[in-house]
Amino acid sequence: MLTAETPIISFQGVSKKYPPNHLVMSDVNLEIEKGELVFLTGQSGAGKTTLLRLLFRAELPTSGKIIVDGMDLSSLSRSQVPYLRRKIGVIFQDFKLLSNKSVFENVALSLEVLGLRKEQVKKRVCQVLEGVGLGHKMHQYPPQLSGGEQQRVSIARAVVNRPPIILADEPTGNLDKLRTAEVMLLMHELNARGATILFATHDERLYQDSPGRVLRLESGKVEVVS
Amino acid sequence: MTLNILFRRAFSDIKQNAGTQTVTTIVVTLSLLIFVFFSFLYFNLERFVGHFGRELGIVVYLKKDLAPDRIPAVFATLQKMEGVKSVTYVSPEEAYYRLESYLKDEVNILDGVEPGFLPPSFELEIDRALFQLTRIKELAEKIARWPEVDKVQYGQEWLHRLEAFSHLTKMVVAAGGVLLLLSAVFVVASTIKLTVYARQEELEILRLVGATNSFIQGPFLIEALLQGLIGSSLAVGIIYAMYTYTKPMLAGSQLLRGLDYQFLPYTFWAPVIGVTTLACIVGTLFSMRRFLKL
Repeated sequence: MLTAETPIISFQGVSKKYPPNHLVMSDVNLEIEKGELVFLTGQSGAGKTTLLRLLFRAELPTSGKIIVDGMDLSSLSRSQVPYLRRKIGVIFQDFKLLSNKSVFENVALSLEVLGLRKEQVKKRVCQVLEGVGLGHKMHQYPPQLSGGEQQRVSIARAVVNRPPIILADEPTGNLDKLRTAEVMLLMHELNARGATILFATHDERLYQDSPGRVLRLESGKVEVVS
Repeated sequence: MTLNILFRRAFSDIKQNAGTQTVTTIVVTLSLLIFVFFSFLYFNLERFVGHFGRELGIVVYLKKDLAPDRIPAVFATLQKMEGVKSVTYVSPEEAYYRLESYLKDEVNILDGVEPGFLPPSFELEIDRALFQLTRIKELAEKIARWPEVDKVQYGQEWLHRLEAFSHLTKMVVAAGGVLLLLSAVFVVASTIKLTVYARQEELEILRLVGATNSFIQGPFLIEALLQGLIGSSLAVGIIYAMYTYTKPMLAGSQLLRGLDYQFLPYTFWAPVIGVTTLACIVGTLFSMRRFLKL
Protein backbone atom coordinates (compact mmCIF):
# COMPACT_ATOMS: atom_id res chain seq x y z
CA MET A 1 0.00 0.00 0.00
CA LEU A 2 1.37 3.37 -1.02
CA THR A 3 1.15 6.06 1.67
CA ALA A 4 1.64 9.81 1.25
CA GLU A 5 5.24 9.45 2.39
CA THR A 6 6.12 6.44 0.26
CA PRO A 7 8.16 7.48 -2.79
CA ILE A 8 6.42 6.70 -6.08
CA ILE A 9 9.78 5.69 -7.59
CA SER A 10 12.53 4.04 -5.61
CA PHE A 11 15.93 2.72 -6.73
CA GLN A 12 17.67 0.62 -4.09
CA GLY A 13 21.29 -0.26 -4.85
CA VAL A 14 20.59 -0.57 -8.58
CA SER A 15 23.41 -1.51 -10.95
CA LYS A 16 23.21 -2.05 -14.67
CA LYS A 17 25.95 -3.65 -16.68
CA TYR A 18 25.91 -4.43 -20.41
CA PRO A 19 28.02 -7.27 -21.74
CA PRO A 20 30.89 -7.78 -21.86
CA ASN A 21 31.74 -5.38 -19.05
CA HIS A 22 30.18 -1.97 -19.63
CA LEU A 23 28.93 -0.56 -16.33
CA VAL A 24 26.22 2.09 -16.88
CA MET A 25 24.84 2.36 -13.33
CA SER A 26 26.56 1.42 -10.13
CA ASP A 27 24.72 1.04 -6.83
CA VAL A 28 22.21 3.81 -7.55
CA ASN A 29 19.91 4.82 -4.71
CA LEU A 30 17.18 7.26 -5.62
CA GLU A 31 13.74 8.23 -4.41
CA ILE A 32 11.18 10.37 -6.20
CA GLU A 33 8.08 11.55 -4.40
CA LYS A 34 4.61 11.62 -5.88
CA GLY A 35 3.96 14.83 -7.82
CA GLU A 36 7.64 15.76 -8.14
CA LEU A 37 9.23 17.19 -11.25
CA VAL A 38 12.73 15.81 -11.55
CA PHE A 39 15.24 16.64 -14.25
CA LEU A 40 17.77 13.96 -15.03
CA THR A 41 20.83 15.32 -16.72
CA GLY A 42 24.18 14.04 -17.84
CA GLN A 43 26.27 13.73 -20.95
CA SER A 44 25.21 11.59 -23.90
CA GLY A 45 25.82 7.95 -23.01
CA ALA A 46 25.72 8.66 -19.26
CA GLY A 47 22.79 6.26 -18.86
CA LYS A 48 19.76 8.58 -18.73
CA THR A 49 17.81 6.52 -21.25
CA THR A 50 18.84 3.30 -19.50
CA LEU A 51 17.48 4.63 -16.21
CA LEU A 52 14.15 5.45 -17.85
CA ARG A 53 14.02 2.08 -19.64
CA LEU A 54 14.55 0.35 -16.32
CA LEU A 55 11.50 2.17 -14.97
CA PHE A 56 9.06 0.90 -17.61
CA ARG A 57 10.76 -2.47 -17.55
CA ALA A 58 12.11 -2.42 -21.06
CA GLU A 59 15.25 -3.64 -19.29
CA LEU A 60 16.05 -5.36 -16.03
CA PRO A 61 18.74 -4.21 -13.58
CA THR A 62 21.82 -6.39 -13.15
CA SER A 63 21.35 -6.05 -9.40
CA GLY A 64 19.29 -4.03 -6.92
CA LYS A 65 15.62 -3.30 -6.52
CA ILE A 66 13.32 -0.86 -8.33
CA ILE A 67 9.87 -0.04 -6.99
CA VAL A 68 7.38 1.92 -9.08
CA ASP A 69 4.04 2.93 -7.56
CA GLY A 70 4.24 0.00 -5.17
CA MET A 71 5.27 -2.57 -7.81
CA ASP A 72 8.58 -4.33 -7.33
CA LEU A 73 9.90 -4.58 -10.89
CA SER A 74 12.37 -7.37 -10.10
CA SER A 75 9.58 -9.77 -9.16
CA LEU A 76 7.10 -8.55 -11.77
CA SER A 77 5.87 -11.31 -14.09
CA ARG A 78 5.70 -10.77 -17.85
CA SER A 79 1.92 -10.73 -17.76
CA GLN A 80 1.98 -7.87 -15.23
CA VAL A 81 4.28 -5.64 -17.30
CA PRO A 82 1.40 -4.14 -19.37
CA TYR A 83 -0.29 -3.06 -16.12
CA LEU A 84 2.91 -1.33 -14.97
CA ARG A 85 3.15 0.48 -18.30
CA ARG A 86 -0.39 1.77 -18.00
CA LYS A 87 0.82 3.70 -14.94
CA ILE A 88 3.63 5.33 -16.93
CA GLY A 89 3.39 7.67 -19.88
CA VAL A 90 6.56 7.72 -21.97
CA ILE A 91 7.61 10.53 -24.32
CA PHE A 92 10.52 10.02 -26.71
CA GLN A 93 12.80 12.33 -28.62
CA ASP A 94 11.80 10.62 -31.89
CA PHE A 95 8.06 10.75 -31.01
CA LYS A 96 7.41 7.08 -31.90
CA LEU A 97 4.15 7.78 -33.71
CA LEU A 98 2.56 5.46 -36.25
CA SER A 99 2.64 7.27 -39.55
CA ASN A 100 -0.22 5.22 -41.05
CA LYS A 101 -2.56 6.12 -38.21
CA SER A 102 -4.21 9.50 -37.73
CA VAL A 103 -3.42 11.79 -34.80
CA PHE A 104 -6.67 10.67 -33.17
CA GLU A 105 -5.85 6.96 -33.64
CA ASN A 106 -2.31 7.37 -32.30
CA VAL A 107 -3.59 8.96 -29.10
CA ALA A 108 -6.54 6.56 -28.82
CA LEU A 109 -4.16 3.56 -28.66
CA SER A 110 -3.43 4.24 -24.98
CA LEU A 111 -7.13 4.10 -24.15
CA GLU A 112 -8.05 1.19 -26.40
CA VAL A 113 -5.63 -1.09 -24.53
CA LEU A 114 -7.65 -0.32 -21.38
CA GLY A 115 -10.78 -1.66 -23.08
CA LEU A 116 -12.66 1.64 -22.94
CA ARG A 117 -15.78 2.07 -25.04
CA LYS A 118 -15.62 3.91 -28.34
CA GLU A 119 -17.56 6.93 -27.04
CA GLN A 120 -15.35 7.24 -23.95
CA VAL A 121 -12.22 7.00 -26.08
CA LYS A 122 -13.49 9.68 -28.44
CA LYS A 123 -14.40 12.04 -25.61
CA ARG A 124 -11.08 11.75 -23.80
CA VAL A 125 -8.90 11.87 -26.91
CA CYS A 126 -10.67 15.01 -28.10
CA GLN A 127 -10.23 16.63 -24.67
CA VAL A 128 -6.52 15.87 -24.54
CA LEU A 129 -5.89 16.95 -28.13
CA GLU A 130 -7.69 20.22 -27.43
CA GLY A 131 -5.47 20.54 -24.36
CA VAL A 132 -2.28 20.30 -26.40
CA GLY A 133 -3.71 22.60 -29.07
CA LEU A 134 -4.20 19.98 -31.76
CA GLY A 135 -7.97 19.53 -31.69
CA HIS A 136 -8.23 20.81 -35.25
CA LYS A 137 -5.62 18.38 -36.56
CA MET A 138 -6.91 15.11 -35.11
CA HIS A 139 -7.72 13.63 -38.53
CA GLN A 140 -4.33 14.43 -40.00
CA TYR A 141 -1.44 11.98 -40.13
CA PRO A 142 1.93 12.45 -38.34
CA PRO A 143 3.92 13.12 -41.54
CA GLN A 144 1.60 16.07 -42.21
CA LEU A 145 2.56 17.71 -38.88
CA SER A 146 5.59 19.75 -37.79
CA GLY A 147 8.10 18.31 -35.31
CA GLY A 148 6.60 20.32 -32.45
CA GLU A 149 3.10 19.14 -33.31
CA GLN A 150 4.25 15.54 -33.51
CA GLN A 151 5.82 15.84 -30.07
CA ARG A 152 2.57 17.27 -28.71
CA VAL A 153 0.73 14.23 -30.16
CA SER A 154 3.29 12.02 -28.42
CA ILE A 155 2.64 13.89 -25.14
CA ALA A 156 -1.12 13.55 -25.64
CA ARG A 157 -0.71 9.79 -26.11
CA ALA A 158 1.43 9.57 -22.97
CA VAL A 159 -1.07 11.43 -20.75
CA VAL A 160 -4.47 10.53 -22.18
CA ASN A 161 -4.92 7.61 -19.78
CA ARG A 162 -3.94 9.89 -16.87
CA PRO A 163 -0.90 7.96 -15.67
CA PRO A 164 0.59 8.98 -12.31
CA ILE A 165 4.13 8.95 -13.78
CA ILE A 166 5.47 10.55 -16.95
CA LEU A 167 8.91 9.74 -18.30
CA ALA A 168 10.28 12.11 -20.91
CA ASP A 169 13.44 11.12 -22.75
CA GLU A 170 14.96 14.23 -24.38
CA PRO A 171 11.50 15.27 -25.63
CA THR A 172 12.78 18.60 -26.96
CA GLY A 173 15.90 17.19 -28.59
CA ASN A 174 14.49 17.59 -32.11
CA LEU A 175 12.64 20.86 -31.57
CA ASP A 176 13.46 24.52 -32.11
CA LYS A 177 13.40 27.11 -29.31
CA LEU A 178 9.74 28.05 -29.71
CA ARG A 179 8.49 24.44 -29.87
CA THR A 180 10.69 23.58 -26.91
CA ALA A 181 9.03 26.31 -24.87
CA GLU A 182 5.60 24.93 -25.82
CA VAL A 183 6.55 21.43 -24.71
CA MET A 184 8.02 22.72 -21.43
CA LEU A 185 4.83 24.64 -20.73
CA LEU A 186 2.81 21.44 -21.23
CA MET A 187 5.10 19.51 -18.90
CA HIS A 188 4.72 22.10 -16.16
CA GLU A 189 0.93 22.05 -16.60
CA LEU A 190 0.88 18.25 -16.26
CA ASN A 191 3.07 18.46 -13.16
CA ALA A 192 0.80 21.11 -11.69
CA ARG A 193 -2.11 18.67 -12.12
CA GLY A 194 -0.27 16.12 -9.97
CA ALA A 195 1.74 13.99 -12.37
CA THR A 196 5.19 12.84 -11.29
CA ILE A 197 7.59 13.74 -14.09
CA LEU A 198 11.07 12.43 -14.70
CA PHE A 199 12.55 14.53 -17.49
CA ALA A 200 15.83 13.40 -19.05
CA THR A 201 17.75 16.11 -20.87
CA HIS A 202 21.31 17.24 -21.50
CA ASP A 203 20.15 20.82 -22.18
CA GLU A 204 20.72 22.75 -18.94
CA ARG A 205 18.68 25.75 -20.16
CA LEU A 206 15.54 23.67 -19.67
CA TYR A 207 15.94 23.33 -15.91
CA GLN A 208 17.90 26.47 -15.03
CA ASP A 209 14.89 28.61 -14.15
CA SER A 210 12.48 25.76 -13.59
CA PRO A 211 11.12 24.42 -10.34
CA GLY A 212 12.01 20.82 -9.47
CA ARG A 213 15.01 18.77 -8.49
CA VAL A 214 17.94 18.25 -10.82
CA LEU A 215 19.90 15.01 -10.73
CA ARG A 216 23.06 14.34 -12.66
CA LEU A 217 24.04 10.88 -13.86
CA GLU A 218 27.78 10.58 -14.13
CA SER A 219 30.16 7.64 -14.08
CA GLY A 220 27.28 5.35 -13.16
CA LYS A 221 26.29 7.36 -10.06
CA VAL A 222 23.43 9.80 -9.44
CA GLU A 223 24.38 13.15 -7.91
CA VAL A 224 21.99 15.84 -6.72
CA VAL A 225 22.66 19.10 -8.58
CA SER A 226 19.92 21.21 -7.03
CA MET B 1 -11.20 -6.16 -23.46
CA THR B 2 -14.05 -7.18 -25.70
CA LEU B 3 -14.11 -9.00 -29.02
CA ASN B 4 -15.76 -5.90 -30.37
CA ILE B 5 -12.56 -3.86 -29.86
CA LEU B 6 -10.39 -6.59 -31.40
CA PHE B 7 -12.60 -6.83 -34.49
CA ARG B 8 -12.73 -3.05 -34.80
CA ARG B 9 -8.94 -2.87 -34.65
CA ALA B 10 -8.59 -5.79 -37.08
CA PHE B 11 -10.85 -4.14 -39.67
CA SER B 12 -9.14 -0.80 -39.18
CA ASP B 13 -5.75 -2.54 -39.76
CA ILE B 14 -7.09 -4.28 -42.86
CA LYS B 15 -8.24 -0.94 -44.22
CA GLN B 16 -4.92 0.75 -43.45
CA ASN B 17 -2.72 -2.10 -44.70
CA ALA B 18 -4.96 -3.11 -47.59
CA GLY B 19 -2.00 -3.67 -49.93
CA THR B 20 -0.13 -6.09 -47.65
CA GLN B 21 -3.34 -7.86 -46.70
CA THR B 22 -4.24 -8.37 -50.35
CA VAL B 23 -0.77 -9.68 -51.22
CA THR B 24 -0.88 -12.19 -48.34
CA THR B 25 -4.34 -13.37 -49.38
CA ILE B 26 -3.19 -13.75 -53.00
CA VAL B 27 -0.16 -15.76 -51.85
CA VAL B 28 -2.47 -18.06 -49.88
CA THR B 29 -4.76 -18.38 -52.92
CA LEU B 30 -1.93 -19.15 -55.36
CA SER B 31 -0.26 -21.67 -53.07
CA LEU B 32 -3.55 -23.45 -52.46
CA LEU B 33 -4.58 -23.17 -56.10
CA ILE B 34 -1.73 -25.43 -57.22
CA PHE B 35 -2.50 -27.92 -54.47
CA VAL B 36 -6.27 -27.96 -55.10
CA PHE B 37 -5.75 -28.21 -58.87
CA PHE B 38 -3.38 -31.13 -58.42
CA SER B 39 -5.81 -32.83 -56.04
CA PHE B 40 -8.67 -32.23 -58.46
CA LEU B 41 -6.71 -33.88 -61.26
CA TYR B 42 -5.75 -36.81 -59.07
CA PHE B 43 -9.31 -37.21 -57.82
CA ASN B 44 -10.63 -37.49 -61.36
CA LEU B 45 -7.74 -39.66 -62.45
CA GLU B 46 -8.53 -42.02 -59.62
CA ARG B 47 -12.18 -42.13 -60.66
CA PHE B 48 -11.17 -42.71 -64.27
CA VAL B 49 -8.76 -45.49 -63.42
CA GLY B 50 -11.22 -46.93 -60.90
CA HIS B 51 -13.92 -47.08 -63.56
CA PHE B 52 -11.46 -48.56 -66.01
CA GLY B 53 -10.36 -51.15 -63.51
CA ARG B 54 -13.87 -52.18 -62.51
CA GLU B 55 -13.86 -54.73 -65.30
CA LEU B 56 -10.64 -56.12 -64.02
CA GLY B 57 -11.43 -59.32 -62.23
CA ILE B 58 -10.53 -62.99 -61.90
CA VAL B 59 -12.06 -65.85 -63.86
CA VAL B 60 -11.88 -69.19 -62.07
CA TYR B 61 -12.40 -72.21 -64.37
CA LEU B 62 -13.51 -75.32 -62.54
CA LYS B 63 -12.57 -78.84 -63.56
CA LYS B 64 -15.04 -80.29 -66.06
CA ASP B 65 -15.40 -83.48 -64.07
CA LEU B 66 -16.14 -81.67 -60.81
CA ALA B 67 -19.21 -83.01 -59.02
CA PRO B 68 -22.04 -80.39 -59.27
CA ASP B 69 -22.68 -80.62 -55.50
CA ARG B 70 -19.16 -79.20 -54.86
CA ILE B 71 -19.92 -75.99 -56.76
CA PRO B 72 -21.94 -74.23 -53.97
CA ALA B 73 -19.11 -74.87 -51.48
CA VAL B 74 -16.54 -73.27 -53.82
CA PHE B 75 -18.96 -70.38 -54.42
CA ALA B 76 -19.31 -69.81 -50.66
CA THR B 77 -15.54 -69.93 -50.08
CA LEU B 78 -14.92 -67.43 -52.89
CA GLN B 79 -17.54 -65.04 -51.50
CA LYS B 80 -15.87 -65.04 -48.10
CA MET B 81 -12.44 -64.14 -49.46
CA GLU B 82 -11.08 -60.74 -48.51
CA GLY B 83 -11.18 -58.18 -51.32
CA VAL B 84 -13.77 -60.09 -53.35
CA LYS B 85 -16.68 -57.78 -54.05
CA SER B 86 -18.95 -60.16 -55.92
CA VAL B 87 -18.96 -63.70 -57.34
CA THR B 88 -20.95 -64.72 -60.42
CA TYR B 89 -21.38 -68.33 -61.44
CA VAL B 90 -21.18 -69.00 -65.17
CA SER B 91 -22.56 -72.42 -66.05
CA PRO B 92 -21.23 -74.27 -69.16
CA GLU B 93 -24.50 -73.41 -70.91
CA GLU B 94 -24.23 -69.72 -70.04
CA ALA B 95 -20.62 -69.75 -71.26
CA TYR B 96 -21.74 -71.35 -74.51
CA TYR B 97 -24.43 -68.70 -75.10
CA ARG B 98 -21.91 -65.94 -74.40
CA LEU B 99 -19.55 -67.51 -76.92
CA GLU B 100 -22.33 -67.68 -79.44
CA SER B 101 -23.17 -64.01 -79.09
CA TYR B 102 -19.45 -63.12 -79.22
CA LEU B 103 -18.95 -65.02 -82.47
CA LYS B 104 -22.00 -63.40 -84.09
CA ASP B 105 -21.69 -64.11 -87.84
CA GLU B 106 -19.06 -66.79 -87.27
CA VAL B 107 -21.40 -68.81 -85.04
CA ASN B 108 -21.47 -71.72 -87.49
CA ILE B 109 -18.00 -72.65 -86.18
CA LEU B 110 -19.85 -74.14 -83.24
CA ASP B 111 -21.92 -76.47 -85.41
CA GLY B 112 -21.90 -79.97 -83.94
CA VAL B 113 -20.45 -78.81 -80.66
CA GLU B 114 -22.40 -79.68 -77.53
CA PRO B 115 -23.58 -76.67 -75.44
CA GLY B 116 -21.97 -78.15 -72.31
CA PHE B 117 -18.44 -78.52 -73.69
CA LEU B 118 -17.11 -75.44 -71.81
CA PRO B 119 -16.11 -75.75 -68.16
CA PRO B 120 -18.16 -74.10 -65.41
CA SER B 121 -16.55 -70.96 -64.06
CA PHE B 122 -16.79 -68.15 -61.53
CA GLU B 123 -16.26 -64.46 -62.32
CA LEU B 124 -14.85 -62.54 -59.38
CA GLU B 125 -15.20 -58.77 -59.09
CA ILE B 126 -12.49 -57.31 -56.89
CA ASP B 127 -13.06 -54.35 -54.64
CA ARG B 128 -11.10 -51.29 -55.97
CA ALA B 129 -9.38 -53.70 -58.32
CA LEU B 130 -6.90 -51.30 -59.82
CA PHE B 131 -5.61 -50.26 -56.47
CA GLN B 132 -5.15 -53.87 -55.35
CA LEU B 133 -3.21 -55.31 -58.22
CA THR B 134 -0.88 -57.26 -55.96
CA ARG B 135 -3.91 -58.61 -54.12
CA ILE B 136 -5.43 -59.88 -57.39
CA LYS B 137 -2.24 -61.73 -58.19
CA GLU B 138 -2.08 -63.28 -54.73
CA LEU B 139 -5.76 -64.30 -54.85
CA ALA B 140 -5.39 -65.84 -58.28
CA GLU B 141 -2.35 -67.86 -57.25
CA LYS B 142 -4.10 -69.07 -54.10
CA ILE B 143 -7.29 -70.13 -55.91
CA ALA B 144 -5.28 -71.89 -58.61
CA ARG B 145 -3.97 -74.29 -56.01
CA TRP B 146 -7.45 -75.54 -55.05
CA PRO B 147 -8.20 -79.13 -56.21
CA GLU B 148 -11.56 -78.07 -57.74
CA VAL B 149 -9.92 -75.47 -59.93
CA ASP B 150 -8.58 -76.14 -63.38
CA LYS B 151 -7.27 -72.70 -64.36
CA VAL B 152 -7.34 -69.10 -63.18
CA GLN B 153 -7.18 -66.10 -65.52
CA TYR B 154 -6.70 -62.51 -64.50
CA GLY B 155 -5.19 -60.69 -67.48
CA GLN B 156 -1.65 -61.17 -66.23
CA GLU B 157 0.22 -59.32 -68.97
CA TRP B 158 -1.59 -55.99 -68.94
CA LEU B 159 -2.13 -56.31 -65.23
CA HIS B 160 1.62 -56.12 -64.70
CA ARG B 161 1.89 -53.07 -66.93
CA LEU B 162 -0.99 -51.42 -65.12
CA GLU B 163 0.59 -52.31 -61.83
CA ALA B 164 3.80 -50.51 -62.78
CA PHE B 165 1.88 -47.48 -64.09
CA SER B 166 -0.35 -47.31 -61.02
CA HIS B 167 2.66 -47.57 -58.72
CA LEU B 168 4.48 -44.76 -60.50
CA THR B 169 1.38 -42.52 -60.52
CA LYS B 170 0.86 -43.07 -56.80
CA MET B 171 4.49 -42.18 -56.07
CA VAL B 172 4.41 -39.05 -58.23
CA VAL B 173 1.10 -37.90 -56.73
CA ALA B 174 2.22 -38.52 -53.16
CA ALA B 175 5.62 -36.85 -53.59
CA GLY B 176 4.15 -33.93 -55.57
CA GLY B 177 1.36 -33.46 -53.05
CA VAL B 178 3.72 -33.41 -50.09
CA LEU B 179 6.10 -30.99 -51.83
CA LEU B 180 3.29 -28.66 -52.85
CA LEU B 181 1.78 -28.70 -49.39
CA LEU B 182 5.15 -28.01 -47.77
CA SER B 183 5.95 -25.18 -50.16
CA ALA B 184 2.48 -23.69 -49.61
CA VAL B 185 2.93 -23.76 -45.83
CA PHE B 186 6.44 -22.27 -46.15
CA VAL B 187 5.34 -19.46 -48.47
CA VAL B 188 2.34 -18.60 -46.31
CA ALA B 189 4.40 -18.66 -43.08
CA SER B 190 7.11 -16.45 -44.65
CA THR B 191 4.59 -13.95 -45.94
CA ILE B 192 2.92 -13.71 -42.54
CA LYS B 193 6.33 -13.30 -40.91
CA LEU B 194 7.15 -10.43 -43.27
CA THR B 195 3.79 -8.82 -42.53
CA VAL B 196 4.44 -9.03 -38.80
CA TYR B 197 7.99 -7.75 -39.31
CA ALA B 198 6.71 -4.78 -41.31
CA ARG B 199 4.50 -3.84 -38.37
CA GLN B 200 7.21 -4.27 -35.74
CA GLU B 201 7.09 -0.56 -34.86
CA GLU B 202 3.39 -0.77 -34.19
CA LEU B 203 3.91 -3.78 -31.90
CA GLU B 204 6.62 -1.89 -30.01
CA ILE B 205 4.33 1.11 -29.45
CA LEU B 206 1.44 -1.09 -28.39
CA ARG B 207 3.65 -2.77 -25.79
CA LEU B 208 4.81 0.65 -24.64
CA VAL B 209 1.29 1.90 -23.94
CA GLY B 210 0.49 -1.20 -21.90
CA ALA B 211 -1.20 -3.52 -24.35
CA THR B 212 -1.45 -7.13 -23.22
CA ASN B 213 -0.25 -9.91 -25.51
CA SER B 214 -3.80 -10.95 -26.32
CA PHE B 215 -4.69 -7.35 -27.25
CA ILE B 216 -1.70 -7.19 -29.61
CA GLN B 217 -2.20 -10.65 -31.09
CA GLY B 218 -5.99 -10.52 -31.40
CA PRO B 219 -6.31 -8.39 -34.54
CA PHE B 220 -3.37 -10.19 -36.21
CA LEU B 221 -5.09 -13.53 -35.58
CA ILE B 222 -8.40 -12.22 -36.92
CA GLU B 223 -6.56 -10.98 -40.02
CA ALA B 224 -4.82 -14.38 -40.41
CA LEU B 225 -8.17 -16.14 -40.07
CA LEU B 226 -9.67 -13.97 -42.81
CA GLN B 227 -6.61 -14.34 -45.05
CA GLY B 228 -6.68 -18.13 -44.69
CA LEU B 229 -10.44 -18.38 -45.13
CA ILE B 230 -10.69 -16.02 -48.10
CA GLY B 231 -7.43 -17.22 -49.72
CA SER B 232 -8.30 -20.90 -49.58
CA SER B 233 -11.97 -20.37 -50.49
CA LEU B 234 -10.85 -18.40 -53.55
CA ALA B 235 -8.52 -21.25 -54.57
CA VAL B 236 -11.34 -23.79 -54.26
CA GLY B 237 -13.72 -21.38 -56.00
CA ILE B 238 -11.36 -20.86 -58.96
CA ILE B 239 -11.00 -24.62 -59.47
CA TYR B 240 -14.79 -24.99 -59.20
CA ALA B 241 -15.25 -22.29 -61.82
CA MET B 242 -12.73 -24.08 -64.04
CA TYR B 243 -14.64 -27.32 -63.51
CA THR B 244 -18.03 -25.83 -64.44
CA TYR B 245 -16.47 -24.11 -67.47
CA THR B 246 -14.74 -27.23 -68.81
CA LYS B 247 -17.42 -29.79 -67.94
CA PRO B 248 -19.64 -29.13 -71.00
CA MET B 249 -16.56 -29.21 -73.24
CA LEU B 250 -15.43 -32.57 -71.94
CA ALA B 251 -18.92 -34.07 -71.83
CA GLY B 252 -18.66 -35.17 -75.44
CA SER B 253 -15.10 -36.38 -75.20
CA GLN B 254 -14.42 -39.89 -76.46
CA LEU B 255 -11.91 -40.37 -73.68
CA LEU B 256 -14.40 -39.65 -70.91
CA ARG B 257 -17.44 -41.34 -72.44
CA GLY B 258 -19.48 -42.96 -69.76
CA LEU B 259 -17.34 -41.51 -67.01
CA ASP B 260 -18.10 -39.03 -64.29
CA TYR B 261 -16.07 -35.82 -64.44
CA GLN B 262 -16.64 -34.49 -60.97
CA PHE B 263 -15.62 -31.71 -58.61
CA LEU B 264 -13.80 -32.51 -55.41
CA PRO B 265 -16.16 -33.67 -52.66
CA TYR B 266 -16.85 -31.31 -49.75
CA THR B 267 -15.18 -33.88 -47.47
CA PHE B 268 -11.95 -32.86 -49.22
CA TRP B 269 -12.27 -29.12 -49.83
CA ALA B 270 -13.89 -28.22 -46.51
CA PRO B 271 -10.95 -29.65 -44.49
CA VAL B 272 -8.51 -27.97 -46.93
CA ILE B 273 -10.09 -24.59 -46.15
CA GLY B 274 -10.14 -25.42 -42.45
CA VAL B 275 -6.54 -26.61 -42.31
CA THR B 276 -5.29 -23.61 -44.34
CA THR B 277 -7.10 -21.18 -42.05
CA LEU B 278 -5.68 -22.96 -39.03
CA ALA B 279 -2.18 -22.95 -40.60
CA CYS B 280 -2.42 -19.18 -41.14
CA ILE B 281 -3.46 -18.64 -37.52
CA VAL B 282 -0.74 -20.94 -36.14
CA GLY B 283 1.83 -19.35 -38.51
CA THR B 284 0.91 -15.90 -37.22
CA LEU B 285 1.14 -17.07 -33.61
CA PHE B 286 4.63 -18.44 -34.22
CA SER B 287 5.72 -15.39 -36.20
CA MET B 288 4.60 -13.09 -33.40
CA ARG B 289 6.16 -15.05 -30.57
CA ARG B 290 9.53 -13.36 -31.05
CA PHE B 291 8.01 -9.87 -31.04
CA LEU B 292 5.93 -10.43 -27.97
CA LYS B 293 8.78 -11.14 -25.61
CA LEU B 294 8.59 -8.48 -22.94
